[in-house]
This record gives sequence, C-alpha cells and structure tokens, in this order.
Amino acid sequence: RMSGATLRKCISLLVYRGKLFSPEHSTSCSYHKKVVDHYENPRNVGSLDKNAQNVGTGLVGAPACGDVMKLQIQVDDNGKIVDAKFKTFGCGSAIASSSLATELVKGKSVDEALTIKNTDIAKELCLPPVKLHCSMLAEDAIKAALSDYRLKQDKKEVLGEARA
Amino acid sequence: MFMIQVPRVSMLRVNTLRVLCRTGTLLQTGWSLKDRQSLSRAVTCALQCCVSTDSSSIRSLQQQFVPQDRGDKRDVRVRHLCTAQVCLTCWNCQHPLKQKPAFFCESCEVVQPPPEDTSYFSILECDCTFTLDTLKLQKKYLQLQRLLHPDNFSQKSEREQGYSESQSALVNKAYETLLKPLSRGLYMLELQGLNIEEGTDSAVNSELLMELMEINEALDAVETPQEANEIGQDTKGKLADLTEQIDTALNKGELQTAKALLTKMKYFANIEEKVKEKLSSFM
Repeated sequence: RMSGATLRKCISLLVYRGKLFSPEHSTSCSYHKKVVDHYENPRNVGSLDKNAQNVGTGLVGAPACGDVMKLQIQVDDNGKIVDAKFKTFGCGSAIASSSLATELVKGKSVDEALTIKNTDIAKELCLPPVKLHCSMLAEDAIKAALSDYRLKQDKKEVLGEARA
Repeated sequence: MFMIQVPRVSMLRVNTLRVLCRTGTLLQTGWSLKDRQSLSRAVTCALQCCVSTDSSSIRSLQQQFVPQDRGDKRDVRVRHLCTAQVCLTCWNCQHPLKQKPAFFCESCEVVQPPPEDTSYFSILECDCTFTLDTLKLQKKYLQLQRLLHPDNFSQKSEREQGYSESQSALVNKAYETLLKPLSRGLYMLELQGLNIEEGTDSAVNSELLMELMEINEALDAVETPQEANEIGQDTKGKLADLTEQIDTALNKGELQTAKALLTKMKYFANIEEKVKEKLSSFM
C-alpha cells in the first residue's frame, strides 16, 4: 500500500492538472481514473504463506525504473486459483497493474491464468505507452507465480513417487 | 574540362551562376546520394572562395543541392574547410571557434548555439570518470550559468536569446546528470552504447529481489521516524558500497558488471527516496 503522503501528492498532482475531475471523453477512457481507483481501493494487498504447498509466489523487478512486484496465488485441489495477493513498490501504474492482475487470476484455472496478457491489463487500465512496461511486469509476475506453483507440484509428485 | 548543368536556372542569381562556372563545379543529375553530399560541400567551399556572395544565394544553392530527404532543419552555417578538420565559425563574425565546446565567440563575444556531440563531461570541464569532485562540478556549473542564463540576454537579439536558452538548458541537464552517482554511471554506460533495457528481472536476481521486498515491507510498517532513519542509514551504507564497486568496474572497463551494479543501485536509490517520503510524512 502506498504511503499517505505519496497518495496525497499523486491526488493533488492529478487535481492540479485538472484530470481527476475532468469529464470523460466519449471515445477514449481516462486512465487516471482507473489507476487512481486502484490506489484508493487496492484489491488483494497482502501476503500468502510462501511455504504452503498450494501457494505459488512470483517475485519480479524492473531494472529500468526500480519497481519491485510480488504476486502470490493460492490454488485448490482442482487446480483453480481461489485466492491471490500482491505487494508492489513502484509507480501508480505498476501498483494498479498488479492489483488488476490479482483480480484477473482469481477464479481461473492455472492453465487459463497462463493466457493473461499484458495487453489485457494495459487496455483495461488505459495505460499510456510510457507505462506499458508496468503491465508487462504484472504479466511476468503472474507467470512467475504459476511457474513457482508448478515447480512445487512437480516436487510433490516426485516425492510422492519416491515414497510409494 | 568540366561541364555545368544547372537545373532551374531562373531560380539562381546570375553572379552565383558565375561562381559555379568559375570554380568549375561538376553537376550531373544521375549522381548517388553520397556524391551529392560531397558535392554540396564542394559547392559550399566554392562559394566561400568567391567574394561576392550573400546568404540568400547560399541558401538557395543549399536548398538545391543538399539532400532534401534529411528531414532535419539546421542553421545554414558557413564552414571553412581547413586542411585538418571542419572547424565551426561564429555565426556573427565568422571567426573560427577554436574551443570545444565554444559557448561564446573569442572575437566578438557573442553567444553561440549549443554544441552538438559534446559529452556532459566536456561541457562542465570534468574528466570522464565515475569519481567526481562534486564541489568543482557545482562551481563550474554556477560559473557557466552566470554567463549563459537567459536573464543576461533580455536586451539582446531574438537569435541570441534563443541560443542562451538552449545553452542554459543543456548545462542544466549536464549538471543534473553528473551530480548523482546513479545518473552519472548510467550516462557513462550510455556513452559506451550500453543502456538498461525495459524488461523484467526475475530468476536472475531472486535473492536481491527478496531482500528488496523485505526492506520495502519493513519501511512500510515503520511507526516512528527513528525506525525509518535506521533503514535510511542502512540504505546509505549499501549505496556507498555500490558506488565504490561501480567505480572499480568502470575503471577496469567491465561494463556489464557496472551495468548490473547500477541496476542494483537504482533499486536502493528508490528505497532512499521512499525513506525521505516516510520521514516527511511524520512531520
């Protein structure tokens, strides 16, 4: 969660630019509104137990801007993602992208979640071109979490076979 | 014997035509782009040799024979073709500009347009090294701004005002970049053609990312300025270490190592910023 001071600064900047309260154009969406929504009402901020068998953890960073993103998924016995949590330290677009990512993965199967693309995230949030890499980071975080989960399942299988 | 074939004769003035004939410049319509470029230089040189030329005829000739597909608009500058290298001249008095970069003409003291292809290090008269005397840098910066700042040019011509603005902005940019170790290091890599790509860093640096996550989460959870300060001090220490390591790597010419270290520095510099924000939120 962003600190209050940063949040206040961002909001005041948006108000100053007149974008926070400006009317929406009929043809294009106002990305600020959607991104700000994720600031003010963050969904799924937090952590899951990374040592749990059915939890996959994805940890990614963007060297160019220094953003760090953690996304975790909890999968049930049927291979369906029942919970997801994130923690992102970076710009507003990165926070919004990962917040949206957790919303998108919930309810999907592990295979379905693999098909989530950064373009879906960018489109939904109406990210400007300069912030497209934030949605890329979120897609990579999802993939990293799924990959971690897969690795754990494979290990479990191997151990299970060894015991049998 | 050279043959001269000039298209659109009516656009050229008669004395300019005479210049071409006199210096025996060869023109052909089927020449390659490379030839045309050297031709435009030859034409410019030819015009230099002649006494009676004025800027409008030079301009019309440049329009005729300089490749149009360049797309960039440049000031029409008259160049002396010295035997050593192409020297720039003052736009006002045509005195050669020997200094590089030349902010002012040595002869008429008029401000010059900002230098092209000059590194920030030479603009601020510093050696191109990672360790920098920031006090010396600041002194040079202030000295330059005292001379170049647009406030000093309010009574001068529009052209001079424009040049002073661009020069002043360039000096600002150079100073900002060279002042902080991170931007300085990144700029030095850029000069060598190495950039930090937009992309993701996951498996490669998972230990570092975990460490960064932990520090960020701890910072998020602090409840007193003292706790925030502790993290701040710790981060400062890490940044100082990294600065040393980067210096070593750059001195040895180990660019990839320097790039990896600068990436790490970026993450910690962000944390340092967040510490400052956290501390100000307590006030």
